[in-house]
Amino acid sequence: MVSQYGIKYAVHIITNHFGPLVAKVCDCLLKKGPLPLREIVRYTELSETLVRNCLLVLIQHNCLQPFLLEEEGGFGEVNKVSSLYMVLFDNVLHRVRFSKFMAIVSQEFDKLCVDLIETLLQHGRLSAEQIFDGFRDSTEGSSSGRVEALQENMHKLVKARYVERCPISEPFLALPSEEEAAPVRRRGAKSAKAFLELETLEQCVLVAAVPPEGMRFLFELNPEIGADRDKVENNSSSNTGDKRKLDALDSNIDGGVADKQVVLWRVNFEEFIRRLRHKICIETVRARLDDEAATVFTAMLDASRSEEKKIKTASSVPLSENSIYAEVIKSEKGRNMTLDYVISVLVGLSSSPPFVRVVDNSYIIDFKHTIEVAQTDEVESIVYKKYGKDAYRMFRLLSKAGRLLETDKISDSIFLEKKETANILSKMWQGDYLQMEKLIAGPTQFLLWKVNMMNLRERVLDDMFHAALNLSLRVAYELEQQKEILHLGVDGPMKEKYEKLKKVRFLLESSRMKLDDAIMIFHDF
Amino acid sequence: MDYLLRLYNMAAAMLKPGGMSRLQGPSSLKRKRPEVNSPAQSLNEHERLLYDVIRSKQDIGIWTRDMKKEAKLPDNVVNKSLKALQVKKLIKEVVNIQNKGRKHFMATEFEPSKEISGGAWYLEGSLDTEFIESLKQLCKRQIERSGVATLEAVTDSINSYPAFNVDVTKQQIEEILRTLILDNVIMEVKSNGMGEFASIPFGEVCYKYVSKGGLGGEPKAGALASIPCGVCPRISQCTPDGIISPKTCVYYQKWLDF
Repeated sequence: MVSQYGIKYAVHIITNHFGPLVAKVCDCLLKKGPLPLREIVRYTELSETLVRNCLLVLIQHNCLQPFLLEEEGGFGEVNKVSSLYMVLFDNVLHRVRFSKFMAIVSQEFDKLCVDLIETLLQHGRLSAEQIFDGFRDSTEGSSSGRVEALQENMHKLVKARYVERCPISEPFLALPSEEEAAPVRRRGAKSAKAFLELETLEQCVLVAAVPPEGMRFLFELNPEIGADRDKVENNSSSNTGDKRKLDALDSNIDGGVADKQVVLWRVNFEEFIRRLRHKICIETVRARLDDEAATVFTAMLDASRSEEKKIKTASSVPLSENSIYAEVIKSEKGRNMTLDYVISVLVGLSSSPPFVRVVDNSYIIDFKHTIEVAQTDEVESIVYKKYGKDAYRMFRLLSKAGRLLETDKISDSIFLEKKETANILSKMWQGDYLQMEKLIAGPTQFLLWKVNMMNLRERVLDDMFHAALNLSLRVAYELEQQKEILHLGVDGPMKEKYEKLKKVRFLLESSRMKLDDAIMIFHDF
Repeated sequence: MDYLLRLYNMAAAMLKPGGMSRLQGPSSLKRKRPEVNSPAQSLNEHERLLYDVIRSKQDIGIWTRDMKKEAKLPDNVVNKSLKALQVKKLIKEVVNIQNKGRKHFMATEFEPSKEISGGAWYLEGSLDTEFIESLKQLCKRQIERSGVATLEAVTDSINSYPAFNVDVTKQQIEEILRTLILDNVIMEVKSNGMGEFASIPFGEVCYKYVSKGGLGGEPKAGALASIPCGVCPRISQCTPDGIISPKTCVYYQKWLDF
């Protein structure tokens, strides 16, 4: 379920990138869930052509997934099939992470790969020919060698799963069985329950849209590309196995992005988010333990990466001591570690808080717990800053206890006067950081307190979306001011002001990037 | 739930006039009645009655209102008698940690029970923060020095500390260590018998030093806590074009003023 400020932030991103009209369509779909074209036209009060164009922009930039949904005809009539459009909230948020994605590629590959990724990020989805065309224009006298290099680098990126074939343009969701049918019938209902069910529908659509295994990351080197620009039908044969793929950009959206026969490529956000998830896990381990533990943990991630199928994988595949050691010594930092030492580090990793679990002499990365540790750190630091040191202790006590505790018990545990304890607890309760229950025992009333981490995470995430929106709005405001100064000229007294504004923007932008890391911890990981 | 039941019982006992005696611990029962001395003998009828009520409550003492109900004496007589008993040093006023606003009296021969005084951490009805803080510092220093330590080791080292002339129990140290865990200065771990845990038997609970900062050092500020919105008291009223907005925000102004 997307929270109130999650929607506002996503719409703000789309407004910044594609203007208010596309944002209006996006806003409508985020608030109401998947809709057919005519409904979008009705709600947005825009012309049908305009809505179609807005939808095309969103599709081109991978922020929208159309799908066909089979629905019961009713009263003995044949089933209907509706064409619906669904905004991909996660992909909208990814738009502010492009620099992070490019940084990952630049660490592993050379500049040409970074440029290829940049091109794809800029344009959303492109055929191989279109990608290479961009480079042809920018380089003088392009040779076939250049095209070969481009193809090779593209191949590398696809192999590393940073680039993938675009999903099926309009997957078909057949009528589900009795139990599964509920979300379909309740589509459009405003209740939170229906919204939750729609999320399941979203997952179904996304799964159905994934190209068949073996096709998704298949990039065939084609020597004809570049030699003859007309021969763009590369890989056309590879589409035959997937009939649905051929329905590219359905009848509702005519004249889509490119020729139906052409394979379109896009950046695989999933792989980048997985890498960023790994990075956050490593940093969490480093902060809690030390550099050595982080090195061994990194080796475990590298050894198990190829087996990871989902972003939100709860745990890795089991790894033996020897396979971990083999990976450790591949890295410069791990080369001087002995097997015994690595084992002792693994023991440290599996003790409290356990980042790694030991099962039958094998070691498993506990992603779920590691992410929870990162989330807890973030929430606790907010409590400390907002309510002070004593509140921080109370919060930690309650969150470790995981159950209701009475005011006096809390006061005794943290060595604080009872009255002061009660004051701080109720402040945190008013701020929705704690839950409170009253226990009436005769004429006496006891107050019991608890941390509900699940609710709190959602609430903190919504605050983060709000804060990210605010940072972005403030950046825009500062930019306006900068423009005014530029208009007046940056000489003399204005120079100092201009330099200050530059620093302000830097602070705002870097804070926004850090906040986005935290959003990922709470939303994407 | 045991704890809640105990609390309930305690509250019920306190609310029943004379019910406090149910909470009397074995230690108070052991105390012998002091020799009846002359001031006690020179009491008038009302003073005697009041004194007996107060003394019957032993180390729990009694609140003046309960006293009045039990003695069935008018307010002015009770107040006068209380003063007289205090002058004769037969009773004393004590702070009841459960309710500091209430006037609470106890016969001088008794020392307030844990329920009344608050226990070892309280001094004259207030938390002995100085004592607690110094114990925290000592425990922290001890664990910092050894990296990891068991409860016994920490208790022994504190008790052998020459400048520290109070004997502390294992239970007291455990309470102190629990607060150090909440401060994120130490963490509770189980020994694996290897490396730094070599001197501690496998599986034994011990305490490991974690914080690089000072005692109760500030946790590393997270992304949201580092910006004004993360701690803003007005965030719920903040909207893009409202009276409170990121463009007009005073906290932003302060933050970006460098």
